[in-house]
Amino acid sequence: MSALPRCSSCRPRLPRPKHGLIRPRCLATEVSSGSVTIPAESTPTVGKVKIYDTIRTSVILNRSPFLTRPLSRFEQAFYAYQQRIQRALHNPFPYEFYFKQGSLLESKFNAEERRRERMAFGAPFGISESQEGSENKSQNAKESVAEALDREEEEKIPRRGEADRTNDVRSLERKGERNLYLLLLKKLDDRQVWRLPEGGLQKGEVLHESAERNLLTECGIRMDTWIVSRNPIGLYRSSTSNQVSPRHIFFYKAHILAGQVRPDGTNVLDYAWLTKEEMEDRLDKEYWLGLKDILSDN
Amino acid sequence: RMMDHYYNTLRDDLMYMTYLHEPGPRKPPRQIRLKYDPEDPYTKNRVNPPVGGSQVGRKPAPPTSWDNVVQLERIQIHTMVKEALSSRVNLLGPIMMLRALSGETQYGGGRHTSEGVQVVRGVKTVGGWIRPGLPVGAKVDLKGPKMYDFLGTLTEFVLPRLREFPGFVMPAPSAQHFTPSSVSGVISVGLPPEAMGLFPQIEVNLDAYPGTYGMHIHFITNAEGQGAQNKARALLSGLQVPF
Repeated sequence: MSALPRCSSCRPRLPRPKHGLIRPRCLATEVSSGSVTIPAESTPTVGKVKIYDTIRTSVILNRSPFLTRPLSRFEQAFYAYQQRIQRALHNPFPYEFYFKQGSLLESKFNAEERRRERMAFGAPFGISESQEGSENKSQNAKESVAEALDREEEEKIPRRGEADRTNDVRSLERKGERNLYLLLLKKLDDRQVWRLPEGGLQKGEVLHESAERNLLTECGIRMDTWIVSRNPIGLYRSSTSNQVSPRHIFFYKAHILAGQVRPDGTNVLDYAWLTKEEMEDRLDKEYWLGLKDILSDN
Repeated sequence: RMMDHYYNTLRDDLMYMTYLHEPGPRKPPRQIRLKYDPEDPYTKNRVNPPVGGSQVGRKPAPPTSWDNVVQLERIQIHTMVKEALSSRVNLLGPIMMLRALSGETQYGGGRHTSEGVQVVRGVKTVGGWIRPGLPVGAKVDLKGPKMYDFLGTLTEFVLPRLREFPGFVMPAPSAQHFTPSSVSGVISVGLPPEAMGLFPQIEVNLDAYPGTYGMHIHFITNAEGQGAQNKARALLSGLQVPF
């Protein structure tokens, strides 16, 4: 898919890159001046490029919500109450200023207003057709014409799409009102572990550049991503028993703007876009405890 | 909707983007030529007047933390019409326009915090055309959800339909970073009179207005210190305002 589908009525958009530096989409490393990191003891590597493994960078790839958050019952009640207060107390609305006498727009507005009054205050308000009599029959005809036109124009896209019904965790359209994060199923010494996209540093490379390179290596290049800042947003120090030296993993936040992950199948077996609670089930406890406070609750 | 987007996505991102790492606590400011001795218990808490000229741009930004991320506080829309000097009736058009844009009236709906559309009066005497007290413009303050609604209509309806609009002007990279405007955290932009008819709430009955007027829009944020305006610009850029 080329772009995330969006419902036209509610579309928070994703932040745009600040000073648009379009990085070429290639996997060759960029040698830049002034390496920030301390090269620690390097492990023997494949190929010509030295990879320093003691410091690794990881990317939290985030899909921002594209639907507004559904309101809780308390919030709904509160807002309904505030609306009723406003309706009862607001300064008089200048009808003659906005609507010409007898126009279609005016009749449409009157019908909608009556419906809203009825919804806000209950049955006795807003119903005036039966009381007013035959003079308003032409007005009623006009209103029904307007309503029919309206119904033809509006077709809302449902909030719960197909991805939600089938609970397809690989889909980017699932759970439109939550923040989704990418997890990869990786092969690690005969075990299959769910981890964030991760990788080591290369010589002469700055941290944020290595983060981007690792992300594209692990997830494929068919994605449009943007790393939010040059500085990492978190640090995780692991002292797992199967590593010689303790690892430091710097986290970076990135947004996915378009495209989808394509794992290459050798180390990365599968991927999933999960909310914060769903991630907790799949991650190791120590890793989760180090990661959970970085993620957004919504 | 824009408010949701800010709280979901933008706030975290802006915190990361505007973060400046400070390895240790800051040095206390240098105390030179003090008028009141801070050791003396009689004058301990007196404010020492600033030495060395205007101190407007000299303060660095407060340390970045989770509770002082850039936030949009209010939007002020302001119009000045010179024709109001000849006759006060000419001020009615801008007042109607601001009323339509903001929906704010004094104490409207029982809320005593909104001040509604206010008339701007002259402050100084400038040779020949204005005296203190003459009404010459109008302004209105937008806060809260209404502010985000206005921002939404601006970025979805008005700015895309402006003719040959390349984005609002940014200062050059060589601009000084300690000028009052770059320290204030306020972005001021202007719209031509043609833009007035592009707002949907005014477009509905554009012929009811006596004329079209341009306006200044001031986005006021809570950023302060050196580099505040850049942070404000980052915030607005995330809210889809083109620069």
